Amino acid sequence: MPTAIAGGAIAGGLIADVVIIDGLSFALPLLIIAIGGIYSERSGVTNLALEGLLGFGAFCGGLFVALFGTRFAIGSTAPMYLAFLCAMVGGAAYSLLHALLCVQFRANQVISGVVVNIVSVALTGFLTSQINASVFGAPSNKFVLSVSPRVTINSFSQIPVLGAVFTNFYPFEAISLIMVVILWYIMNRSRYGMRLRACGDNPHAADAAGAHVTRTRFAAVMFSGALSGFGGMCFAYSISNNFSPSIYMGAGYLAIAALIFGNWKIMPTFAACLIFGLARSGAYQLVKAMELSSSFSDLAMTIPYILTLLLLIFFSRSNRAPRALGEIYDKSKR
Amino acid sequence: MRSRTRKLSHPIMSLLGNKRWQFISIPLFAIVCSFIAASIIILIMGKNPLSAFYSLLQGGGFLPKPNYAAYKSVFTDFMDTMDALAVMILASLSVVAAFRAGLFNIGVSGQMLLSGFVATVLIGYSDLPSAIAKPLVIVIGIVVGALVGALIGYLKHKFNINEVVAAIMLNYLFQYTISYVINTRLADPVSRQSREISTAARLTLVGVQLGGIKMRVPLAIILAILCAIALLLFFTKTKQGYEMKAVGLNMVSSRYAGINTGKTTVVSMIMSGALAGLAGTSYYLGYYASIQPNVLSSTGFDSIAVALLGNSHPIGVIFSSLLITALSRGGTYMSSIVGIRQEISSLIVGIILLFSACGSYIRHIVDQYDYKSERGQS
Amino acid sequence: MRKDAYIVEMRRITKRFSGVAANEDVSLGIYKGEVFALLGENGAGKSTLMNILFGMYEPDEGEIWVRGGKVSIKSPNEAVRLDIAMVHQHFKLVENYTVTENIVLGMEPVKRLCGVLPMVDLKSANEKVRELSRRYGLEVDPTAKIEDLKVYARQRVEILKMLYREADILIFDEPTAVLTPQEISALLNIIKKLRDDGKTIILISHKLEEIKQVANRCAILKRGKLLDVLDVSTTSTATMAKLMVGHELSLDIEKPPACFGTTVLQVKNLTVENKQRFTVVNNVSFSIREGEIFAIAGVSGNGQLEVADAITGMCAVKSGNIILDDSDITHKSVRERNQAGISYIPEDRQQTGLILDFSLADNLALKRYHTPPFCNGMVLRKSAFSRYANELIGKYDIRGGGANGKARAMSGGNQQKAIVAREIELQSRLTIFVQPTQGLDIGAIMDIREKMIQQRNNGKAILLISLELDEVLACADTIGVMYNGAMINIAPADSISANEVGEYMMGVKKYEESYA
Repeated sequence: MPTAIAGGAIAGGLIADVVIIDGLSFALPLLIIAIGGIYSERSGVTNLALEGLLGFGAFCGGLFVALFGTRFAIGSTAPMYLAFLCAMVGGAAYSLLHALLCVQFRANQVISGVVVNIVSVALTGFLTSQINASVFGAPSNKFVLSVSPRVTINSFSQIPVLGAVFTNFYPFEAISLIMVVILWYIMNRSRYGMRLRACGDNPHAADAAGAHVTRTRFAAVMFSGALSGFGGMCFAYSISNNFSPSIYMGAGYLAIAALIFGNWKIMPTFAACLIFGLARSGAYQLVKAMELSSSFSDLAMTIPYILTLLLLIFFSRSNRAPRALGEIYDKSKR
Repeated sequence: MRSRTRKLSHPIMSLLGNKRWQFISIPLFAIVCSFIAASIIILIMGKNPLSAFYSLLQGGGFLPKPNYAAYKSVFTDFMDTMDALAVMILASLSVVAAFRAGLFNIGVSGQMLLSGFVATVLIGYSDLPSAIAKPLVIVIGIVVGALVGALIGYLKHKFNINEVVAAIMLNYLFQYTISYVINTRLADPVSRQSREISTAARLTLVGVQLGGIKMRVPLAIILAILCAIALLLFFTKTKQGYEMKAVGLNMVSSRYAGINTGKTTVVSMIMSGALAGLAGTSYYLGYYASIQPNVLSSTGFDSIAVALLGNSHPIGVIFSSLLITALSRGGTYMSSIVGIRQEISSLIVGIILLFSACGSYIRHIVDQYDYKSERGQS
Repeated sequence: MRKDAYIVEMRRITKRFSGVAANEDVSLGIYKGEVFALLGENGAGKSTLMNILFGMYEPDEGEIWVRGGKVSIKSPNEAVRLDIAMVHQHFKLVENYTVTENIVLGMEPVKRLCGVLPMVDLKSANEKVRELSRRYGLEVDPTAKIEDLKVYARQRVEILKMLYREADILIFDEPTAVLTPQEISALLNIIKKLRDDGKTIILISHKLEEIKQVANRCAILKRGKLLDVLDVSTTSTATMAKLMVGHELSLDIEKPPACFGTTVLQVKNLTVENKQRFTVVNNVSFSIREGEIFAIAGVSGNGQLEVADAITGMCAVKSGNIILDDSDITHKSVRERNQAGISYIPEDRQQTGLILDFSLADNLALKRYHTPPFCNGMVLRKSAFSRYANELIGKYDIRGGGANGKARAMSGGNQQKAIVAREIELQSRLTIFVQPTQGLDIGAIMDIREKMIQQRNNGKAILLISLELDEVLACADTIGVMYNGAMINIAPADSISANEVGEYMMGVKKYEESYA
């Protein structure tokens, strides 16, 4: 699946610019999803369900646009922002399933994640077709979205190389960056973040200190749902401008790889996502620049994955998962 | 009111409370629950759930349909299901092999794809006779899968790379590389997939005529059942099986007992990879005869949940695979007969897996109920 | 002290676990400002009773009254709201948090960043913790991480946590079990200071001397029932002991004079680093002879466990040599060492010593499954497993579940019996016992100590590592003391007093002779 290529405005521009522009538009949503994963896993709940969460979130956003998009003026960006909101709410609501299974029902968290993914694929596939058929009378497995505008900040875009960061970006990328700061702050400086991290290290201690383990973990998993929904919506807009089953392209699994790579910390995960996104767009542009046939892009696509594996070989040694990750919290045990 | 619900749930509770049968009663309970849930969905859509399930079984070849095309019968459909079943069993056994050693092989799809691809390239287009080609395909499948498994196990043991991450990376690596090769070298101009392999190399005999009926004969199903039995014997009867279970249950105790945990980790991933490779050859050189570029089979992911539904037990997996395969195979027919969307069958599968993931919770509730009623008596 | 008003009253409390009564019809009242001790053997129901008061469990029957009002305490949070706090036997601390973060967790002070954004105010919290610790003589660095702290300091963090919450009913669950005599007396002083400050203290213990020292009154529990409540100042320890055990207390084991043979184990200049590359065992040397119990005393976290792990191959050796019967095993695998003649009863019986989800038979064969008769080539012989299991079950009186029952379902005492049985049956030249009697009842303790001494009498070498000084003194022929990763003293057991050992454990007394 090729990344959306930046539009004609910079055609013929520097390849480096395109690499940065495309790289960021992939890396930032990935990061938001990965941070969702970090929230869940730092609270002690393994989250392999990111893939399903982002898909369900994007479905909700897509559904909103399909149902109400026509009521807005043509060219209005309001439906887009509302779609993002719906995606977050939908992702959070759907993540309750994972929270319920893991926190309340003592299910194996890995299995629960996989099942939540499978159900998400089945449910959204079913609902999309069913709604298209019964509401719009059209046999389709897609919801078509509007085109997201792209923004360039002129005064900054002239800076050499780094100017590309301010060129032709999607509005949701800017929102993502703000979210990263807020999310870092919540995780590391707020009362809730402190309790969340305690739950993932020693839930018994957290409980004894009066931090409600079940409630904290539920909230953390819902965070991951909302953030995945947001990230999924980003991909729906940036890659295909529609919601279809192709949203399940494995970004959720990639986000998991990124957060493990980043040692369950937000800033290193940011770096991991950036490396990945830039390697991805770089490889893609390389194929274009060398004027190779488009089938080479498949080969180029392997570069970020190989790079990640190689980096992991050097950086995995000191990796340490949250101590209570994956453990079912049982009050009566010590 | 309270006592009435209690009475109502009492027979279920006592049925589920029997510890000796819990391994079967709890999954069955989960399946029954999910069929009830599915029935409600079908009812909401204004259709009759019973006829839906009936047509599901017809589609899967377990019950005869009212009419068949020439040379076809219920047996034809049944053998088609068996073909898909073989893949599911092998893939799920792969998950079980890793899971028992405490590892999580999320790369079954990638391992399937790579071994299917290598076997296709090396044997699929050769003109080797059937008697040589088929065994070679099987061997290549096992070896390629085992090598990938070994790599993942080694990376985990040597570099502390989480097996889930390594497997995900390898999944994509294989997907893109193979897609490149297929698109540039092996593509069939019409189907856009890899060219069809020779019948000699294919593990499923197609169009076999028996008593006036044409059908497929999936050789892999025999292989799958043999593998399940072998895996069962391995875990219950062998030294290495004992070690693997020990490592899966408690890494520290195993080290304390003198077990070489690193070697055990690598060996279990090799076994898991080999089974996934076998699943891959029976999928791409059996059920199908070509490879679709840029797609990882969903079987590899479904098998994780199927393995759970089968209690991570090699024989249990045969039954859970049967259930899930039958449901997904019957979906198309059900949709055409009853007039509900085909996707509903994957939704039912999802619901079954959802309920079965709650198995340990059901057990917990039953245990608590036992304890409470015990207290009530004393 | 108003004699008529109880601050806490528990009336007719009954609590059962799967049908077995842990507390039966227990009623007691505690006055404000007193130190009230709960005395009883392991398993007498002391901890359960206090966990009920702290809201960890709900009683099946009975009422709790606090400050004259009937309350129902469903969670620790509700207990905290009633100003009740508890220091558990297993500390409940977040390892990778600092002291302050642990103390404020759940009641974090919040300041507003730029007047808007709420954030946890660790700076002022640090100050408050520092001030509290100064006031009660509980010195501890507020910014230190828990994982770097020693046991006594962790305990102080737990106490500070209660004080920070301004609790005035403080429950201590076996607080002295893992402390040195000197640390114990420091703790008892802290407890007295807290009482003088108006706090009410409930002390769970089975050590009579310390109850005699600090407690005003003492309740004696036995098998879940309350036997009596005594005024400590007018009751002799002998009477308390008699009530507690039911007969005259005799913890002494018959131990014939030592008869040493040739050297079995030699540890030379052993140095071990932990995962964070921190030296945890520093240049330690000692040797053990046939027929000798060599005990390493020391406060938890001074490198004793790592010595055991290094000898058994569970952790890597940085430098130095380990020699077993003239062959150097420093870099051999765990399996090779087992076969060379090392048995190991590890500290954590559930997480290391057993595979809880394996059957008892599988667990008993854990170190022999790969040799005949248990195994023939690659194939296991399950009949040999069950035959062997049944033999050991009879010989060592291991109860609960039988050969095919899961180890998880057995009681702690029987789990430990199974491990001891397995390790002794290996007939190894050297057997290492780490904390072998922790958390067991008196019957099981005596049983295991007897087995250990029997092994010694049979000419085996024994390494005993125990945090309980009493145990070291009761069993050892030779006592080595570790402090800060170094073996700072080795002496024959009969030439050193309990107090001296305690001083070495604290690092107060310096090297007298160098073993380096």
